[in-house]
Amino acid sequence: PSARILASESWFVFSLQCAVPLSRRTFAAEAKKTYSREKPHVNIGTIGHVDHGKTTLTAAITKVLADAGGANYKKYEDIDNAPEEKARGITINASHVEYTTANRHYAHTDCPGHADYVKNMITGTAQMDGCILVVAATDGQMPQTREHLLLARQIGVEHVVVFINKADAVEDKEMLDLVEIEIRELLTEFGYDGENTPVVIGSALCALENKQPELGENAVMKLLEIVDSYVPLPKRELVKPFLLPIEGVYSIPGRGTVVTGTLERGLIKKGDDCEFVGHSRSFKTVVTGIEMFHKSLDRAEAGDNLGALVRGLKREDVRRGMVMCKPGSIMPHQKVKAQVYILSKEEGGRHKPFVTNFMPVMFSFTWDMACRVTLPGDKEMVMPGEDASLTLTLRQPMVLEKGQRFTLRDGNRTIGTGLVTEILTMTDEDQCNWG
Amino acid sequence: MSLAFLFRAVTREAVKVSVSQPVQCLHSGCQLLAADKALLMKLRKSTGYTFIKCKEALQRFENDIAQAESWLHEQAQKEGWSKASKLEGRKAKEGLIGLFVGKQAAAMVEVNCETDFVARNEKFQQLVKDVTLATLAHHQDKNENLTGYVKSVLTGDELNKLSMGEGSSLADHVALTIGRLGENMSLKRAVTVGVPAEWHIGSYVHGNISGQTEVTMGRYGALVVFQGGKDEERDTLGRKLGQHVVGEAPLSLGNVDDLPCGESETRLLPQTFLGDPSRTVAQFLKGQQARVLDFVRFHCGETLGEQ
Repeated sequence: PSARILASESWFVFSLQCAVPLSRRTFAAEAKKTYSREKPHVNIGTIGHVDHGKTTLTAAITKVLADAGGANYKKYEDIDNAPEEKARGITINASHVEYTTANRHYAHTDCPGHADYVKNMITGTAQMDGCILVVAATDGQMPQTREHLLLARQIGVEHVVVFINKADAVEDKEMLDLVEIEIRELLTEFGYDGENTPVVIGSALCALENKQPELGENAVMKLLEIVDSYVPLPKRELVKPFLLPIEGVYSIPGRGTVVTGTLERGLIKKGDDCEFVGHSRSFKTVVTGIEMFHKSLDRAEAGDNLGALVRGLKREDVRRGMVMCKPGSIMPHQKVKAQVYILSKEEGGRHKPFVTNFMPVMFSFTWDMACRVTLPGDKEMVMPGEDASLTLTLRQPMVLEKGQRFTLRDGNRTIGTGLVTEILTMTDEDQCNWG
Repeated sequence: MSLAFLFRAVTREAVKVSVSQPVQCLHSGCQLLAADKALLMKLRKSTGYTFIKCKEALQRFENDIAQAESWLHEQAQKEGWSKASKLEGRKAKEGLIGLFVGKQAAAMVEVNCETDFVARNEKFQQLVKDVTLATLAHHQDKNENLTGYVKSVLTGDELNKLSMGEGSSLADHVALTIGRLGENMSLKRAVTVGVPAEWHIGSYVHGNISGQTEVTMGRYGALVVFQGGKDEERDTLGRKLGQHVVGEAPLSLGNVDDLPCGESETRLLPQTFLGDPSRTVAQFLKGQQARVLDFVRFHCGETLGEQ
């Protein structure tokens, strides 16, 4: 039961399977394997200079694990060099590979550009829980390694593991130390724990060609062990306070009022205290019954589509767009800062840029609300196909929290998708602007 | 049995030790001394060249850091060229537009690289800046005695041949940067305009990179040549027009009397003005008593029509 499929994760796995077209399709033709959920799932990625061997490392990982039965060996050529894929209507260049270590199941993402990682973060297609920074021992860090770490900070990667690649091409072992010292200094400069960041020295090529096992296979295994222990498991949706965005409200004669929706996260049990928030209303009560497919049950888990009977609730008290949550766990807000990707014309977005005071409609959970866009000071307009950090002011406060995803629409067209990065407080000026 | 095994294991260990010992000695024999290590770090930090190169330089000049450094700079050019020829043919679609407006003249260039990480790097931005200024200097040399309107479009090959002063060409400079950043780069195109005294150049760069003040850089750039407008508002007017050109991507100028044909209008003058949706560009210009004569728009990474 603890290995229940969570709504967001199952979607993710599903999207992976249909997102990687050619290579996976051949597997499907052979025999459809069942996805086993015995091991916790973690998303990691690689960043580094184009020639430092990110793809070779990925190939080496699959090879080493294939010997242990935890992956399908993918040759360098098989790891498609970042095919274009469409996730939630947005084109992202990314290559995905999956493998299993002794303790965990990993989805491994690699993107060619900064913009692709940011799109990844915003759409949540492959949120990175940690990342492997690949540096070639021959070159050391490149000037653009600074930009790589800046990105890791920006998309909220807190755990970085360093792999010093191509160690077989360096004769003098002291050079490896110097590369390591340098990279640690750089990590510290960017606010990571440079002193204690794990650094693995090896050669992905050796692992692929079965040479020098110390630098090859063993180093790759060591890297995986360290990733296993250093990158923590993401918090499971089940242990978070429950949240049910309300999709519908029904009154059942003789019993009371039932709210329906898909449980976003957490667990609800019969008799739990709950709070209704949204549309400028807020009140507390108790859940007296839970039903799924006309059968009553004691507890519902994240991802379940349920109806909840609530004590003393009148049909007109609640409406779609409000949420039922654990009291005090979530608050309505009116002004947020968000990282937003604006769809390009080819992706079905606008073909024109927009400027401050543009008013799209924001959709999140089951609510939608008009909002006003304010551009950051150094930007005069936002072009389709680019990402930007925007301040959004809602016409009325709605349930919003850091890390929440939303969509922006204008008329009948989706123009962008975003992620809340900061909750801001309303000023009097903002109030006046809504008139 | 077990004793025999133990004995064998012990001897094996002993052999291993005795074998690995001389190896260790050999190894430390060719190790750099501690002082060299500090020098190596210093050289690497000050020059930014790879560890291997820095070490080679130090060995060649017996730890004379000044000589090593000058040798490295010399080598960098050759290295850059060999790296550049190795990376040639790899797709470079990211990059930056560099734009500089001088006195009655302006230059706009596009320089490409492979990833947007590099486009964010200072060294690449320095290259874009140098290319922009060299292009403008070339324009001014060539058109010194001309007073009319001059607009010249340069292709990548023509740009490569431009000189940077001291006998090196822009292509040398690009190769040097390729050597440093390890990504393929190319000069894609440039345009320069020179205008007579009573004409003005407006410009706008979108996605402006902060920290670059002299030459503005971003993913989109536009130059607009216009006449008229009030003296004190001319800068804003030029900027607004440039912004419109970047945003609405007009393909041709059109006539003042043209009727707008909806959303897909590609002529500049009948387009709805970006800064004031209630008017067309022509109406806006009339209000400002200005006239647009020409414009150029660059979008970084766009495929050119002729190709």
